[in-house]
Parts: sequence; C-alpha cells; structure tokens
Amino acid sequence: MNYQFLLETFFVALSGVPIALLVTVVALLIALPLGFLLALTRINKIPVIHHLAKIYVSFVRGTPIIIQIFIIYSSIPLLLKIIFEKYHIAFDIYKINPIWYAFIVFAFSSTAILIEVFRSALSTIEKGQLEAAHSVGLTTFQAYTRIIIPQALVVALPNICTATVNLIKATSLGYAMSLPEITLKAKVAANVGYNYVEAYLDIFIVYLILCSTVEYLFKRYEKYLSKYKVANA
Amino acid sequence: MDKYFDATYIWNAIPVLLPFLKITFLVAGSSIILGTLFGLLLAAAKLSSVKWLQKLANLYTTIMRCTPSIVLLFLVYYGVPALAENFGLNLHSIDTAIFVVVTFTLQFAAIMSEVIRSAYLAIPKGQFEAAVSVGLTPFQAYRRIMFPQALVVALPNFGNGMIALLQEGALAYTIGLIDIVGKANLIIASNINAHALEVYIALAIIYWVLSIIIEKIFTILEKIFGKGKKTLETT
Amino acid sequence: MLEIKNIHKSFGGNEILKGVDLAIDKGDVVVILGPSGSGKTTLLRCINFLENADQGHATFGDIQVDFQHVKKKDVHAIRQRVAFVFQNYNLFTNKTALENVTEGLIIGRKIPKAQAVEIGKKALDKVGLSEKYDAYPSQLSGGQQQRVGIARAVALNPDIILFDEPTSALDPELVGEVLQVMKNIAAEGTTMLVVTHEMGFAKDVANRVIFMDGGVVVEEGSPHDIFVSPKEERTKKFLKRVIPEDYTFYI
Repeated sequence: MNYQFLLETFFVALSGVPIALLVTVVALLIALPLGFLLALTRINKIPVIHHLAKIYVSFVRGTPIIIQIFIIYSSIPLLLKIIFEKYHIAFDIYKINPIWYAFIVFAFSSTAILIEVFRSALSTIEKGQLEAAHSVGLTTFQAYTRIIIPQALVVALPNICTATVNLIKATSLGYAMSLPEITLKAKVAANVGYNYVEAYLDIFIVYLILCSTVEYLFKRYEKYLSKYKVANA
Repeated sequence: MDKYFDATYIWNAIPVLLPFLKITFLVAGSSIILGTLFGLLLAAAKLSSVKWLQKLANLYTTIMRCTPSIVLLFLVYYGVPALAENFGLNLHSIDTAIFVVVTFTLQFAAIMSEVIRSAYLAIPKGQFEAAVSVGLTPFQAYRRIMFPQALVVALPNFGNGMIALLQEGALAYTIGLIDIVGKANLIIASNINAHALEVYIALAIIYWVLSIIIEKIFTILEKIFGKGKKTLETT
Repeated sequence: MLEIKNIHKSFGGNEILKGVDLAIDKGDVVVILGPSGSGKTTLLRCINFLENADQGHATFGDIQVDFQHVKKKDVHAIRQRVAFVFQNYNLFTNKTALENVTEGLIIGRKIPKAQAVEIGKKALDKVGLSEKYDAYPSQLSGGQQQRVGIARAVALNPDIILFDEPTSALDPELVGEVLQVMKNIAAEGTTMLVVTHEMGFAKDVANRVIFMDGGVVVEEGSPHDIFVSPKEERTKKFLKRVIPEDYTFYI
C-alpha cells in the first residue's frame, strides 16, 4: 500500500466533487418539476401523454443506466451531425463539453424515477384535501401549491433522497462520456503507477462522505417538514 | 441517413448477443442466492437485541448504499487479490466472474437485509404469539406462520431488487467479463466502432424485455402467494 | 336565496339524482333525510360543484347557472358564498387548526393576515377550541376535528353552510359536542342545509325537513309534518325503520 499516493489521490478524487454535484443539481433542477408535471398527467390520466410517460418510465427502469449513457452519448452527435450538415453549419460536434451530455443523460433518467416517486406520493393524498380546499374558495392551482404539494413532498422526501443518492452514485459512470468527475480523475492518477487499490479506496471514501452527508441533510429537512406528523407519533 | 444509422444492425446483433445472457444469468443468479443468504444474516443482526450487532449491520448497509457499483467492483477486483497477497495467496489468475459475484453478493445482501427486515416488522407480533400459544415451537411458528406472511410483503421489493441487480450487473464488462454487454463491446470493436448505437439499442431492448418479464413474473407470484392473505383477512 | 331546479346526476349509467327541486331562504335550517343511496350527499356535492351535475339550473342570489354549461367564474363565485362541512372533516393535515380556518380567508379571499387570524380565532372560540389554535389535526379527536371543520366554514361568513353527514364518522360519545355547536350556529341565524341521520337534530333545530329516496324528493314539510303526520308510504316506512317504536315526539 502506497500511503503517500493514497493521501495525494484523495484530494484528486475530492477535486471531482464539484463536477459530480453540478451534474446532480442540474439534473434534479430539470427532473423535479418535469417529473412532478408528468406524474400529474399519470394521476389524471391525460390522454396520450400519460401513456407515453408510462413507456418512458418503463424504459428507464428496465435498462441499465450505462446503456442509456451509451445510447445518448452516441446518438446525439449523430443527430447533430446530420442537422449541421443539412444546414451547413460549421461546428465541431466533438468539441462539445461532455458535461452537456451528462446533464441530458442524468436528467433523462432522474425524471423517470421521480415520476414514479411523485405518482405514489400524490396517490397517498386523499381527494378530500382538494375538495376541502375548493370548498373554502381556493383555486385548483392554490390548492396544489398550498395544500397538496406540501403534503406530497413530505411523503416523497425519503424517495427523493434515495433518488438523489443514486444519482450521485450514477455520476461515477461519467467516465463513459469522459466527464472529469471523482472516479475518472482518481483513475487517471492511478494509471501512472498502477496504484488502483489506493485510488479506488479514495474514490470509495469520497462517495461515502458525499452520500452520507446528503442523506443526513435530507433526514434533517424531513424532520423539519413533517412537524405536523411527528406530533402524531 | 443510412450512412450513419442502419436498423438492420439492431436485429443482427440480438441473436449474437442472446447466447451471452447465459453468463449474465449465471452471475446474477449466484449473486442473488448468496446475497439473499448473507442478507438474511444481516437482517437477523439488525433485528437482534445485541446493540453492536445492530450497529455493525446498519453501518454495513449505509456503506453499501453510498458506494457506486463500479467503485465496489474495482475495489473488489483490485483489492481482494492485494489483500490475499498479504496472506501468501495468489488470486490473480481466478476467473473474473468470481469477482463480479462477490461484488454483487455484497451489494445485494445490503438491499435484501432491508427488504427482509421491513417485511418481518410488517407482520404483527400477535401472529407469533398466537402460533406459540397453540403449541408450535418458535422455529415452527417462524416457518409455518411468520415466513409465509413476510414473503408476501417482501415479494415486490425482492422483485425490484432483482431488476436493480440485473442492471448494475451490466457494469461487469468494465473488469473484463464477457456477458452480453461485454460481447456487445466486442462486436463494436470488430466493426471498428461503427454502428455502435445500433448494438447498444439491441442491448437496451434485451434488458428492457428482461425487466418486463421479471416484473410480470413477480406480479403473478404476488397473486399466488397473496391468495392466502386475502382469505385470511376476509374470514 | 338558493334555488335548484330539476337537477340530474348519473354515475356510470346509474342515475343518482332524477330531477330534484330545492328552494332555501335566508335563515332556513333545512335537514335532508333519507336512506343511504338516496342521493342526499350527491345533491349537496353538486351544489358546491364537488360533482358536476348532468343537467338542471341553479339560482344563487344574482348568479344563474345552467349545470350543462358551467362557467369557471360562476363556480368560484358560488364557492365563495357557500361553505362545506365534510363527513370525514378533510382538515388540511399540514396546517394547524387556526391555519385551517384562515387558509380560505387569506388565500381565497385575500383578507389581510392579521384580520384573518382575528376572524379565525373568533370562529375557533365559538366552537369551543380556544385552547387548540396551534394543534395539528393529528393531535385532535374526531369531534374536535369536526368542530374545526365547522369553524372553517363559519369563518368564511358564507350565505349558506352545507353539512354532509357531519357526525356519522364520529364515535357515539363525540356526536353530542358537534351537534351542540351546530345548534349554536343555527340559533345565530345561519342558513344551513344539513344531511344527517340525527333525527333529534332534525326535530329540534330544523324549520324544514326534506325526505329523499331513490334520487327524488318524496316529501317535505315542517318537522311536525314529517315526523308526526307523514303522508307518503315511503316516508312512514323509513321513519319506522330508523325510529324506535316507543319513541315519541313532543312538538
């Protein structure tokens, strides 16, 4: 065991954290509202859209994320190439920063996961809550923002936490898109002297710290949000 | 268009890939069996009254939950032989599949320990007490009364765990296992990286169909095992 | 004040309301009786647009509605004047008792918060829950929750309050406190339309009783008309079933 390398590479791995977090945050910013809206289409059985949403969810849940990455990472350049050639746009598609692909891939998969999370959370809220809101003169929009969503959020939070942790973990697959995140950075450092054991130990520790911190923060927030439920317990 | 994308490559790739499902199934199946056994032990530890055992099992689950599969895979692949070397063992020449099975056994056990624990807790204590009160031994009570009921509760989560394992298993190619993903990469390499997209789509179709089949099987199983539960409730 | 004409409503080919007429004046306390499945609850829910009636007309003060072509604006306007008390309370589980009462005032009616809180506290005092402003629904008994539900309706200062079987989800020993609160607000001159199985309340508090069966109004009149000298055979049969033999009314 090369302890000197172990220590140095820990900071190399740590320097990949901002990229991993950036990808996670951007993916969630897209996936949370989109997932919620699509969950509403599923609950209210909006024609066509809710069937498409169902197929979309089934695809994402049914295929490994690495294969989703392969597909998106190899199809988007193809599509862009065709479009750019058709309109004679001079643009080198191989110069696109891989982080854009990462945003698309992880937003794509997180949205599907969150549709299911919100769908099951919304289905636990009684219809009477909406009726009561209507009966005191709230509009449907007000009823959702003030009554339904705050309640559904508390129900959904543990699952949103799991989805977030899984998302952070999934960014480790960014290597397939040459995304310089935690895993890739440490691995590259290890390539020089074949110090793979040390490098992966470092990566392991960084994810452990990162994910347990995120879990802790979610737990704190959950406690804060569900004060009306704690009273019951 | 057909210069870049040719759908016939998808249909040509599927029959080439399918035989390699055997490897995928073998690795996943072994991990599921071993992982469930280890998960049972972990669940027992979590439910035991021994504080440090509980803590240890919970710590293990947290660590597994926070570790990406690919990191665990490489940690096992590089770490276990390095560790064994200290004891004078040479593990460098053993089959890659072993490392894959070890990795996913460790991971699946963490998932299963939670599935088993929550299923066990979902069964009212009175069931066990009633069983013992009519003269069953504790072991008989667990086997004949508690286990069948807990199974129904655990079934959907077990199914989800299996699908998750199958998908995480797709990463085994990274340490050189030639399962369907590994084979797909070989096909692509032999095409000098052309038409990679079609081969990946073929892979996605195979996985998608597989997941849907597993889901359906579990829905049927739930119906079969759930039957007893319903008649119990209504009588 | 409120007039309903020829209201019809079906659920999946099953006609629940088969042309009901109803007229309520200011200050009326009208009780609707009838066996379960007679359409009483559906009638109430249609009046507040919790269900969309298939046909019929409603006149509410100066607002006229054809149930076949309902305008969103009219729905909102009528809901501002009509309050609803639910069978299973439907308190907002994420809000305290006081917030439950003020929510409609602040958000729905745009009343300033300080003023809304004052109205809310007064309403909760009226139902005897001065100690429970900050309690969440999960901390209240069923009877207390329903009293918050009534306070929530009263605070809106509506033209009419609709009560949908307000005591039928309660344990028997909690029914009394809710009925007492309803009696109190009736005594203040609140216009009320009540669906209930509490014959005592109908007898003591109502000034008009409507008997419904099979989606139509069978008979209506004063409590004396209905309980002491019912004309229709179906009314007699129903009363015989729900009121014990030796029960006598002193009116």
